[in-house]
Amino acid sequence: MSFLDSILAGLTVVGNIEAFLALGIGVTIGVIGGAIPGMSATMAVALTLPFTFSMQPITGILLLLGVYKGGIFGGSIPAILIKTPGTPASSATILDGYPMAEKGEAGRALGMALWASCTADVVSNLSLILFAGWLASFALSFGPPEFFTLILFSLTIIAGVSGDSLLKGALSALLGLMLATIGLDLVYGTNRFTFGDPNLMGGLNFIAVLIGLFAIPEVIAMVWHPTAHVGKARSLGKNWVSFADYRRSFRSIIRGSLIGVFLGSIPGIGAAPSAFLSYSEARRRSKYKENFGKGEVEGVAASEAGNNGVAGATLIPLLALGVPGDVITAIIIGAFMIHGLQPGPMMFILNVDIIYGLFIGLIVSSVFLFFIGSVAIKGFKYVADVPRRLLVPGVLVLCIYGVFAVNNNIFDVGVMFAMGWVGYVMMRYQVPAAPFLIAFILGPLLEDNFRQSMLMSGSDPSILLRGPITWFFWTVTVITIVAIIRAGFRATRRKPVADKG
Amino acid sequence: MNARRAQLHLGVGACALSLLMIFWIIPVYVSSPSNVGNVILSPLFWPYTLAGLTGLTGLGLLATRVLLPADDAPLNDPIDDAPQAWLRLVVIAAIMLGAMLLMSRLGMVWTAMLCFAATAFLVRTRHPKAAVVCAIVIPLALYAFFAHVAGVAIPQGEVIRLP
Repeated sequence: MSFLDSILAGLTVVGNIEAFLALGIGVTIGVIGGAIPGMSATMAVALTLPFTFSMQPITGILLLLGVYKGGIFGGSIPAILIKTPGTPASSATILDGYPMAEKGEAGRALGMALWASCTADVVSNLSLILFAGWLASFALSFGPPEFFTLILFSLTIIAGVSGDSLLKGALSALLGLMLATIGLDLVYGTNRFTFGDPNLMGGLNFIAVLIGLFAIPEVIAMVWHPTAHVGKARSLGKNWVSFADYRRSFRSIIRGSLIGVFLGSIPGIGAAPSAFLSYSEARRRSKYKENFGKGEVEGVAASEAGNNGVAGATLIPLLALGVPGDVITAIIIGAFMIHGLQPGPMMFILNVDIIYGLFIGLIVSSVFLFFIGSVAIKGFKYVADVPRRLLVPGVLVLCIYGVFAVNNNIFDVGVMFAMGWVGYVMMRYQVPAAPFLIAFILGPLLEDNFRQSMLMSGSDPSILLRGPITWFFWTVTVITIVAIIRAGFRATRRKPVADKG
Repeated sequence: MNARRAQLHLGVGACALSLLMIFWIIPVYVSSPSNVGNVILSPLFWPYTLAGLTGLTGLGLLATRVLLPADDAPLNDPIDDAPQAWLRLVVIAAIMLGAMLLMSRLGMVWTAMLCFAATAFLVRTRHPKAAVVCAIVIPLALYAFFAHVAGVAIPQGEVIRLP
């Protein structure tokens, strides 16, 4: 099938009003969800997921992608106006965004955040279109040993960079892998940890685990401390972003977008490190480096380009390899599965219409983001005024309905509550939840590929080193572990010196 | 709780979980066919490997906790009314448990209404009237969507049935 044929096939599935409506609604929900302090893009995507069950696969997935894109930008609005990042990725935006707001230039900062976000989004989507197909055709030559080493590498990097400690990340990933073993054994069909309950034979429901881990802990945290402070919103001011500002920051925007694309395409790194790296590179190379941290519009542009550049690129490993790059793409993979689709190299052959439909939808989402984002900036006051102590019970009720709707099973609601407490304990002990969830999703795949490799080789472990692809993944896994351990030791050595100073 | 103490709890917890898995849960709750020739292909292999790695991670957490600063800086933001906060946690756990027990008897909509109201008042909402209105409207709106648009069989309970 030629490129043009693929585009036409894609148009046949998204060339309807429902698909574009879903995308527009998704971006709106995402911007609002990201902008509400205490919500996040992750929670917005997770809570939207149950509403997609009754939709056509492409419509549902576009809705979620819209929420994702909108949520990442939406997080920058409270970061600039009330110094509270709506998403972790917006933390870098505070560095210059909030000082600009204090100077009465919040409108200019938000305008630049929007322009930089949309530009980075376009760059990221184009990279997805260029590289995903190429990577998928390369991945067609992967066998079980190659997939095993790829997943092991992904889990290592996710465990290593998600929190402040490799060991806490590893513990989280191991717990996720352990939870994934519940159910019938993949080869022999015998019971594993089912405790005689038929509800456990198919394993734990993924949506219940994910909503339990990411939404319920926020409810419990609110109950623990109901009066957690929320800052006062600054006014937008009279200044608005100009084309001259955009042109001045253009290099930083493109550099940040490319950093986002590179880091986003590696499973596990995510948007926050990308935003900080983009910001520090912009500060290093800018003519106005002395203004960084004091309210420099280029700083806002760089951090927003860095975090939005990731959004399309995280879909590269998801679509091409079936490996989610971060928590949000882990939720989106759940949407694919619910609709009977399995992301990975074979999807580029079997469901090329859906793949190209998604590409078209993603390009259109950048346009929607521009218009909806412009309105959202002006309407933030109303969003910020939503009382959190009414929002949180609403989230709880929505979680109950959403989780029940997956399988029409009250047992899943119980799983969600139980996982909520696990997530809350992890939150209190600062154990990152992302490795847990991604390990839970990839666990069966990891075990399955390992056992298939062993069956292929007659239990000879040397098959896991059978060729250049496996060597490559083993090498990068070892390099990642060494780099993370070294960084950890350096940080602990630096801390006492800083404390003394 | 400072960082060192938190890491001590995590390390001990991981080691305890590992031992529990290896000596009780896996042998009792994972069945393996007797004719499995190779240990690597056994359904027991993966759980034992993960349990062993969890134990090693726990030991790693215990060993590296000495590297953490010994100050008393708390890991989480301190809270003024700790005993009341614990009590609120107990109540939210009771609300969750109550929701599970009531759902099949009262139905999901009525249970969700009670859940909403109880949680809103538990977090001391400053908008009690709005909370009551939302407690009625939100579960009904969600019922309308899931039951009539998405075609989900929302549990109706034995008391009052909705159209």
